[in-house]
Amino acid sequence: MKKIIAVHSYKGGTGKTSLSVNLAASLAKRGNKVAILDLDFRAPSLFSILKMENSTVWLNDYLNGASNINKILKDTNGKIPSSGKLFAGLANPSTEAIRDMSAKDRKWEMRALGRLLSLRNSLLKEEDFDYIIFDTSPGLQYSSINAIVAADLVVVATTGDRSDVNGTSRMLRELYNLFEKKTGVVINKVLDADLDSKKEELNKRAKDVYQVPLLGLVPCFCEVLRAQGNLIFVQDRPDHPFTKILDEIATRIEKNEI
Amino acid sequence: MKKNELLLSRKPLHVLEKIKENLERLNEKMEIMIEIQRHGKKELEAFPDASLDVMTLLSMPDHLRKTAMTICRCGRATAQEIASQTKRARAVESAYLNQLVLMGYLKKERKGRKAYFYADRENQEHI
Repeated sequence: MKKIIAVHSYKGGTGKTSLSVNLAASLAKRGNKVAILDLDFRAPSLFSILKMENSTVWLNDYLNGASNINKILKDTNGKIPSSGKLFAGLANPSTEAIRDMSAKDRKWEMRALGRLLSLRNSLLKEEDFDYIIFDTSPGLQYSSINAIVAADLVVVATTGDRSDVNGTSRMLRELYNLFEKKTGVVINKVLDADLDSKKEELNKRAKDVYQVPLLGLVPCFCEVLRAQGNLIFVQDRPDHPFTKILDEIATRIEKNEI
Repeated sequence: MKKNELLLSRKPLHVLEKIKENLERLNEKMEIMIEIQRHGKKELEAFPDASLDVMTLLSMPDHLRKTAMTICRCGRATAQEIASQTKRARAVESAYLNQLVLMGYLKKERKGRKAYFYADRENQEHI
């Protein structure tokens, strides 16, 4: 079933972009046509992770109404080998573009929402994409809330950090509930993840504190930290446990088990 | 002769359609008056040309948010089209849509018998 998925978090540094890219790669490698869009206009990073630094077209232009989405999306060209297809829409990392995107008014944000909503028709229907993944900016900002409103499913990345737990639970209650969004939580960078007591504690947290389904528990892997954003594990380390967990999350999303 | 007969047979239908159209307009006007009476005109008035952005959506009461979000998704729609998505009655959606028009968040455009609602000029039919 075709879907728009927004990957969001309350705080920065929860691993949103890593989860987004690996989830997109996992969905693509099993034959899906996937688009990943960098909606973090304040701190663009997808261009760097996908090693597409030479791009000259940006998602900013689409949201500004200056370009068609088909001209913006670029095939990752075998950067992620898969039986499906993975396209990327990149946010412009130049300081001028970041400043420009930070100064948009409410009218512009309303139009940006309209343009994100219209992707359902232009990409899922007309271009036959199976999944669109929005990698959003953290917290309650226009660009991330626009993405949440336009999505069918929101994956919330969170960690064990006390302020993150508090903020995430408040955000789920006061934002997601109002928009009646289907939501799943991924608890990332979990220490002692192999302990049954830890698993039990986090399952209980998802059920009692977040009150949304737990999509996955991702342990804190030293190899992931050591890679420093240079590896896409689903592609480069197909047998790594991180890849296996991301594949399980992708399967749950594909099977609509949320 | 045949042509005259055809015209005569069409006339009652035409009159009935006109009556239905006028009744629908009357109904809409009554819905607006009811809303004004219920909330007071001042409460419903917002800025002219107010924007229906996500922060505005967040601050709306639940019943209006549902209607407003559906119109955002559709771009431009009639009360009937909105009602088919929200699974609420057409008359209810019509009242909410007119309330959003009074608040300045939506525009309303008549085309023949149908009234279309939209949030942004980009969704106006001629553009």
